[in-house]
Amino acid sequence: MWSRLAYAFREMWASFQRNVTLTAAAVVTSAVSLLLVGSTFLIQRGFENLLARWKGDVQMIVFVRAGAPPEQVGFIEETLRGQSAVIDTSQLRYLDQAESYAEAQRVFAGDPTTLSLLRPELIPSQFKVVPLTEQAALVRSLAQDFRSLPGVEAVALAEDEFEIIAKLSGFIRTVTITMSLVLLLVAVGLIWNTIRTAMFARRREIEVMKLVGATNWFIRVPFMLEGLLQGLIGGALACGGLWGLNQAWSSGVAGFKPGTGISALVVPDGYLYGVMGLLLGVGMIAGAIGSAIAASRFLDV
Amino acid sequence: MIRLENVSKVYGRDTVAVRDASFEIAKGEFVFLVGPSGSGKSTLLRLMNRQERPERGDVWVAGRELNTLPDAKVPYLRRNIGNVFQDYKLLPTRTVFENVAFALEVIGQPKHVIRQQVPAILELVGLEGKEDRFPDQLSGGEQQRVSIARAFVNRPLILLGDEPTGNLDPATGEGIMRLLDRINATGTTVVMATHDQRVVNMMRRRVIQLDRGVIVRDQTRGVYE
Repeated sequence: MWSRLAYAFREMWASFQRNVTLTAAAVVTSAVSLLLVGSTFLIQRGFENLLARWKGDVQMIVFVRAGAPPEQVGFIEETLRGQSAVIDTSQLRYLDQAESYAEAQRVFAGDPTTLSLLRPELIPSQFKVVPLTEQAALVRSLAQDFRSLPGVEAVALAEDEFEIIAKLSGFIRTVTITMSLVLLLVAVGLIWNTIRTAMFARRREIEVMKLVGATNWFIRVPFMLEGLLQGLIGGALACGGLWGLNQAWSSGVAGFKPGTGISALVVPDGYLYGVMGLLLGVGMIAGAIGSAIAASRFLDV
Repeated sequence: MIRLENVSKVYGRDTVAVRDASFEIAKGEFVFLVGPSGSGKSTLLRLMNRQERPERGDVWVAGRELNTLPDAKVPYLRRNIGNVFQDYKLLPTRTVFENVAFALEVIGQPKHVIRQQVPAILELVGLEGKEDRFPDQLSGGEQQRVSIARAFVNRPLILLGDEPTGNLDPATGEGIMRLLDRINATGTTVVMATHDQRVVNMMRRRVIQLDRGVIVRDQTRGVYE
């Protein structure tokens, strides 16, 4: 067992060193495509943070003053439910202070000053409102009415804040996902080509191996490991790039004025590390797939 | 050990390499397959180690019928068959020792077995002291000895030779034949395709003669003719 493992790794390393140029091309392409995949995830996460408040067609948020008595909260809810002609009451949601606090943590992820000032007991609770009407003017006049209700601190409208961003987010997602998938396919193709070339260069050796009774898996494994290593190195480079990009972006965003909403575009470290892990995994799988396809040929001796 | 029953092999649409061949080779026999180029000698050898499959007929080797042998079991069949070629098929970037060890390494033999068996087989083929040489530092005869050592190092039941003396001068070819004779004496069945008249006549072993894919003679203690 050990001798077979040692053999597989030794052969993988020897082959890896033999085709430096092709290997470098495959590694760089997979790194670029994986970096793009990772960036897509981070951009999406940023937009999701920014739009967290407006998830599920929410167009209006009625903020209830912190410390408002339950009767006032009940009265606001009653008033909102009374508008069943213009409000989808089945989707009306109330976020208490704890839930609002959790949401604010995402919205202000990149704004440490605001984050440090947030206190669960000081934060306004909120009603998320999904209007039935498409008419902006009607929603606006409704918001005006709600502002005067007792206990209401403010009313925010999606139209004012993030409608354009929501559309932009959708567009960017489509473009980046398409590009990264295309590049990922190119990377698989390049890894396939590298392994095919490596196998072609060693076809005589492979023929001898088959004639002395080596199994196909014994022959295939070092090549698959080579592809896997190429994908892994590509993934690791992409992780480094992504980490650098995120650092640069976070420090850039920190310079923005608090409350502009841009601070929400920062992605917290936990999520970033998750994406980095994913990139390593995708890199290895793409590499192994490319090399496995290439290795399946050349074995008909 | 080897049995062919009404075997035919056709390449492409109508190039008949072997036509309705039937014979049996017993354990420990030494058999020459003779005939001009293109008569089907190499094809018969390729059928015996499942590099080819026949269009018709059955090929039995070491108790297994090769047509129905699953692909996954072919490597295990081949561990019982050593192969020697006219062009040696040595790996130029490996030393003599490594070339021979390669055959054990790829079937997963541990290092201590390799360290023990390779020097012994190199001594048997007369290459002791040349373990660290590369193939291009050896003569043709020496290279063929390495090839034979590689084929025989895991003591196969059968040794197939495809024109093993084809690239060698007569004296060196004779040396190779003496080596194959010694290997045969250990109980290994040897089947050798050749059109080297001299070695066939020198050895006086069983001769199966082919002509355009058809067996035209099967003679014990035969000569080339």
